[in-house]
Amino acid sequence: MTITQDMLKARGALENKLRELLGIPVFLIEMDAFALPCGCGGITINTRGLQLDDLEVFEEHILKYFTETVTSLEIDPSFLFVRLIPGTSEIASINARMLCSNCYMDFARGSGKRPRPDIYILRFDSRE
Amino acid sequence: MKLYVPHVGHLEGLEDLLSGSDDIYAVYMAGSPDYIGTGRTNLSAPKLEEIAIQTEYAHDKGVKMEIILNSSCMGGQQLTPEGYRTIDWYFDKLNGIGIDSITVADPLFVEMLAKDYDMDVVVSVLSFVDSPQKAEFYEQLGATTIVIDPAVNRQFDKLESIRDAVSCDLKLLVNEACLYQCPFRYAHFNFFSHANGPGPKPNVLDDYYYFKCLSLRINDPQQLIKSPWIRPEDLKEYRHITDTFKIGGRTQFVNWILNAVDAYANESYEGNLMDLLDSIKDLKDHFFIPNSELSGAIEQWKRCDKVCHKCGYCKRLAEKIIRVYSQDEDGRCMVPLGSSGDRT
Repeated sequence: MTITQDMLKARGALENKLRELLGIPVFLIEMDAFALPCGCGGITINTRGLQLDDLEVFEEHILKYFTETVTSLEIDPSFLFVRLIPGTSEIASINARMLCSNCYMDFARGSGKRPRPDIYILRFDSRE
Repeated sequence: MKLYVPHVGHLEGLEDLLSGSDDIYAVYMAGSPDYIGTGRTNLSAPKLEEIAIQTEYAHDKGVKMEIILNSSCMGGQQLTPEGYRTIDWYFDKLNGIGIDSITVADPLFVEMLAKDYDMDVVVSVLSFVDSPQKAEFYEQLGATTIVIDPAVNRQFDKLESIRDAVSCDLKLLVNEACLYQCPFRYAHFNFFSHANGPGPKPNVLDDYYYFKCLSLRINDPQQLIKSPWIRPEDLKEYRHITDTFKIGGRTQFVNWILNAVDAYANESYEGNLMDLLDSIKDLKDHFFIPNSELSGAIEQWKRCDKVCHKCGYCKRLAEKIIRVYSQDEDGRCMVPLGSSGDRT
């Protein structure tokens, strides 16, 4: 399969799992792969209908589903997070990012789940 | 030196920030957009209770708290009876919390705050104070401090005339890094003020002004040099104007903010100047500006008459020192300006 075929399949599968889990019509409106000039790479899934409350209640399940999705795309699931629309509980995107050494430090400094008010970390593997 | 430092807006961020540096005199953050917005993007919308907790925490650490309510356009809501009462109520609550200072852009708010409250009144850069006459106007309205429009950061005759015209405090924003004489400045801040203020909020497709801002610099990198930032090493050149400096960066990570605080507190930075510039963070992995190679440029800017098409100093400096990040077989590398497809 091509990369886009893999992503199409992964997007639909994750959306179905989230809908079954939460019982609400969550939409994953777009899945994008990205490669940044700094050296970071990964995927962003833009969401509609997913709220921070959903995440806090079902974090364990959502983390498991997202890890499976990311792994199926051969992306290291060492850093998984959601981005919130500032000042709201609306989740704008779910993200998997393989961090470059510079960006790693931005996230490694803090110890909590909210290094910035618009970011909620699902998984962060510290490096040696 | 008094450093005013951006704070992302939640307690966790404040704890990280204040545990990371002893050089912070004051932190600043936006308030709730339900009352008065701000002219820049925000990552948070702290409620009064959250502001109270964070203010108490900052004060316990010996750090002052400033709230930024510098909307440059409220669509006239502030002049309606309902709008006026709501805003006055919000000011009263912030005053009760013990906020040290409020930054505003609207002259009405300067006067309201000066008349009725104990908090210091700070005139925002979004009031565009770039002359002694405008500074006098705001001082007469009751300003405690004026943050001078960064557009004149490299016009020392203007800075000195403002200093001589008023007795209130002055503050300089060192790393905003907007375009010099930016054509989007008013429209962009007005857009932000509506997007980050009380409704109705515009449902925009893209931030046209920001995209243009970045593409102008990519196509003409001398704009990166002309932008009126102040290098950490050059703060000493401004000591006769003020000893109070503000670092921009409310939407940056705490780690980024602390790196900037460290640079400006120590008045020294080794590395890419782009690391310190706030408004163009999306270009920091595109351009490399070796800060050390800017040493001495301030002497030219001190006598600059701002006729760029005759002078060409910033253009020549850009061509000489700016590098562009690229990729080769071994990974990331840097190439000189001009060999990467730019259009200068």
